[in-house]
Amino acid sequence: MKKETSMLQNICNLMVSFSFCLIFVYIFLPYVTASVDILNRMSQQLESKDIDPTRYISTDVAQVKEAEDYFKTVFEDNRQARQ
Amino acid sequence: MAGFNDQALNETAAAQIKVWRDAEKKAESAGTKTVQKPYNYIPSLIALCVFFIVMLGAGIVLMGKSFSEFAKGFVIVFLIATLAYMFGGQAISRQYGFGAEAWGILLGMLIANTVGTPKWVLPACQVEFFIKTGLVLLGAEVLFGKILAIGIPGIFVAWVVTPIVLVCTYIFGQKILKIPSKSLNIVISADMSVCGTSAAIAVAAASRAKKEELTLAIGLSLVFTAIMMIALPAFIKAVGIPEILGGAWMGGTIDSTGAVAAAGAFLGQKAMYVAATIKMIQNVMIGVTAFCVAVYWCLRVDCTAGRTVGAGEIWLRFPKFVLGFLAASILFSLLDSNLSPGMADAILDQGVVRGGTKLLRDWFFALSFAAIGLSTNFRALTQYFKGGKPLILYACGQSLNLLLTLGMAYIMFYLVFPEITAKI
Repeated sequence: MKKETSMLQNICNLMVSFSFCLIFVYIFLPYVTASVDILNRMSQQLESKDIDPTRYISTDVAQVKEAEDYFKTVFEDNRQARQ
Repeated sequence: MAGFNDQALNETAAAQIKVWRDAEKKAESAGTKTVQKPYNYIPSLIALCVFFIVMLGAGIVLMGKSFSEFAKGFVIVFLIATLAYMFGGQAISRQYGFGAEAWGILLGMLIANTVGTPKWVLPACQVEFFIKTGLVLLGAEVLFGKILAIGIPGIFVAWVVTPIVLVCTYIFGQKILKIPSKSLNIVISADMSVCGTSAAIAVAAASRAKKEELTLAIGLSLVFTAIMMIALPAFIKAVGIPEILGGAWMGGTIDSTGAVAAAGAFLGQKAMYVAATIKMIQNVMIGVTAFCVAVYWCLRVDCTAGRTVGAGEIWLRFPKFVLGFLAASILFSLLDSNLSPGMADAILDQGVVRGGTKLLRDWFFALSFAAIGLSTNFRALTQYFKGGKPLILYACGQSLNLLLTLGMAYIMFYLVFPEITAKI
């Protein structure tokens, strides 16, 4: 038989799981990143280059435009050099 | 100090530089006084919520549903999406791919599976509607002219390997793993082979996948992207793979564009440029993939065995948003190729896209993630994960992707077109 849970119990469950997520994101991940040297270096590099790994479309990522401009310049310079 | 031979010119230049510096300082100090406090966002968020209720509500009415029921529930969906944006702002966790999208699904699922989503909120959880609207807007950002950005090698790495991996993974899932849900199979295959979340969303809508299936595919993609973003550049450095080959490899295999740029940056500037460009070319495939999947679903998956389907029925079944997406993509591609580079950048990229479609598209996807979470049941989700088949499918497909992409990138950049590699 399915056990019914009370509203109070459900609210407690919500609070506990929400707190767990907050602790994981706001305390655990920053702590691990600060403690592990390689992660810390990676994090600083991303911060200095202003790269956001959560962006999933190319127009959201500034580095894509930068790369496009770079290739345009490189290929254009080579074309001019050949002429 | 200006380097003119004439002293008078030097003095004039120095005086003008001083004027410019003073003006700059003044503007800077004025800027610091107008700091945006978090509570300053509240009025504009309320206005945005009302705007969405009116705009989306019109669509809801046209679909024959109740406007008032939608409007009531939408406030909660909007609130969850806003909270997701807020919590997703944590800089460190964003670096691991844990942003607003993940928070949207997570917050919604926590509510749905603990206290339960109130019944009056459910009419506003119009996942499909939000996704399809967002996808049509996304079409404006997918420009076909971009596929030539890095020449023919880029097209081979992104446009030849990707469909092969997509089809092979789908067949592997059906014939070997025998995944019961074809839509789950195709969503994971597209998610892994094309470009992560965006492809998963488009293909899920094209194949009418269930929201649990989309949640599962996005979850797998987020986990694998975080791992590959760190592991792949480390492996490339350890093995001594050249920067350009490494960049092309990562661009073709890591799911999300942001993570590709991050992984590329760990290797070096050129690797980042190559990786980001390959991913951009792959992004262009979203519409084509969604179109092919929609056609395949109409002709083969949705029909009864032995029964031929007429053109009228195909048209009825065909998801029309794919046409909207492709129309926007083709229109903006034509505009982009006919305008001068500076004009295209100013009008399309900085104007229409950054000032309009991108902002709205972001919100539509954020709303859809919140709505997915609010209407997803953990128990239903675990059923799809039975036997770990989705995980095996993703891992096997990604292994094939890694092998083929590395092989193709080596052949194209080092054997067939070494002159292009030398220029980079």
